[in-house]
Amino acid sequence: MANPDLHAPVAGETHATTEAEHGSGGLPQFEFQHWAGQMAWLVVLFAVLYVLMSRVFTPRIRGVLDQRATTISDALEQARLVQEEASSQAAAAQAELSEARARSQRLASEARAKAAAEAQVRQAAEDEKLAGRMAEAETRIRASRDAAMSHVAAIASDTASAIVEKLTGAAPKGSDLTAALDAAKQGAR
Amino acid sequence: MADPLHQFKIEKLVELPDVTLPLIGKVDLAITNSHLAMTVAFAVVVGFMMLVTSRPQVVPGRLQLVGEQLFGMIDNLTDSIIGHEGRTYFPFVFSVFTFILAMNFLGLVNIPGVFAFFTATSQIAVTATFAALTILLVLIIGFAKHGLGFFKLFVPSGVPWVLLPVIILIEFVSFLLRPVTLTLRLFGNMMGGHVALKVFAGFVGVAALGAIGWLGVMVAPLSFAMVTALTALEFLVAFLQAFVFAVLTCIYLNDVVNLGHGH
Repeated sequence: MANPDLHAPVAGETHATTEAEHGSGGLPQFEFQHWAGQMAWLVVLFAVLYVLMSRVFTPRIRGVLDQRATTISDALEQARLVQEEASSQAAAAQAELSEARARSQRLASEARAKAAAEAQVRQAAEDEKLAGRMAEAETRIRASRDAAMSHVAAIASDTASAIVEKLTGAAPKGSDLTAALDAAKQGAR
Repeated sequence: MADPLHQFKIEKLVELPDVTLPLIGKVDLAITNSHLAMTVAFAVVVGFMMLVTSRPQVVPGRLQLVGEQLFGMIDNLTDSIIGHEGRTYFPFVFSVFTFILAMNFLGLVNIPGVFAFFTATSQIAVTATFAALTILLVLIIGFAKHGLGFFKLFVPSGVPWVLLPVIILIEFVSFLLRPVTLTLRLFGNMMGGHVALKVFAGFVGVAALGAIGWLGVMVAPLSFAMVTALTALEFLVAFLQAFVFAVLTCIYLNDVVNLGHGH
């Protein structure tokens, strides 16, 4: 076996060493003199990479991921609070609105009642005034009728005296006229 | 036609003296194209992560979003497979994933005739190192957390005692094979894909040179279409193999982290 035995770090070597018997003519991968250098260099690089990953990069990315998670949850929390506030405000507004509506309804019914009462009072006053005026008018009518009736007596006596004077040629005496008219009045009743 | 295996050849870029170590023997310390590929992959990963995390925004930009997607993907993986202790092992899994992913993708960088990037993950030495790191971590965690109770890993509960010897043998062998399969899966996929690409690209070249006469009129477009399709497939494979490696790492870690409960 011309190639050095690189048994040390690899468990998967059992396969490789059997291949090493016919090494040089085959795959370039089985040129074992190059193995140790590659492995050592890879281990060094990997160690550095691992340290960088675990000490620097992973915490940084985790940090920003956590920060994002907190930002999002904070924003959600805030949104929830705002929404709660909004809904409570909406409820308050609703209550206010319904209260205002009730108040306005009360006010309206009160106004209606007051207006009705006033109208009634006014109506009554008007009625009274009208009734007064009617009574007055009736009184006046009665007075003028009475006056007319008294004039009727005078006309009747005048007419009777004129007729008697035409018929007899002599004016009757006032007392006779009055007695005749009274008798006629009695008879007409 | 160019040798499709030539692309896997280790080339020395800087000669360094060989050293002879005890137990291991002669070691060539030269800096090779494989070293370069690994280093570039490392630089890409570190550079990417630095760009992603240098100015982290609560509302991420595009690049940060890409980084966070990768991060979230592996984070979900460790969380769902390993459980609440997953975060402890996340950096390891994420390092493995990003490093392999970078090497796989860099291997697909190719300007025909000008420059072709070396695929570090097509080297068994590289994939075996990843597998060894993973299995070593599994062993260390297993023994550190459970002591000799680690061997309960090979004794599933609820098995009839008659079957126990067979089951223990099977479990033990399957455990031994884990690093081998980890190594060969990644290596085989990367190498196979690149060989296939090279072969079909070679056909195009041969046809273009007129070496197969008028047949080339038919072969060249077909092969070219094949190379194009395979390149797309290779991008999928490059990602998938890195992801599979990460998933298996999680599963193997879970075996020892949560040993004895839920099995």
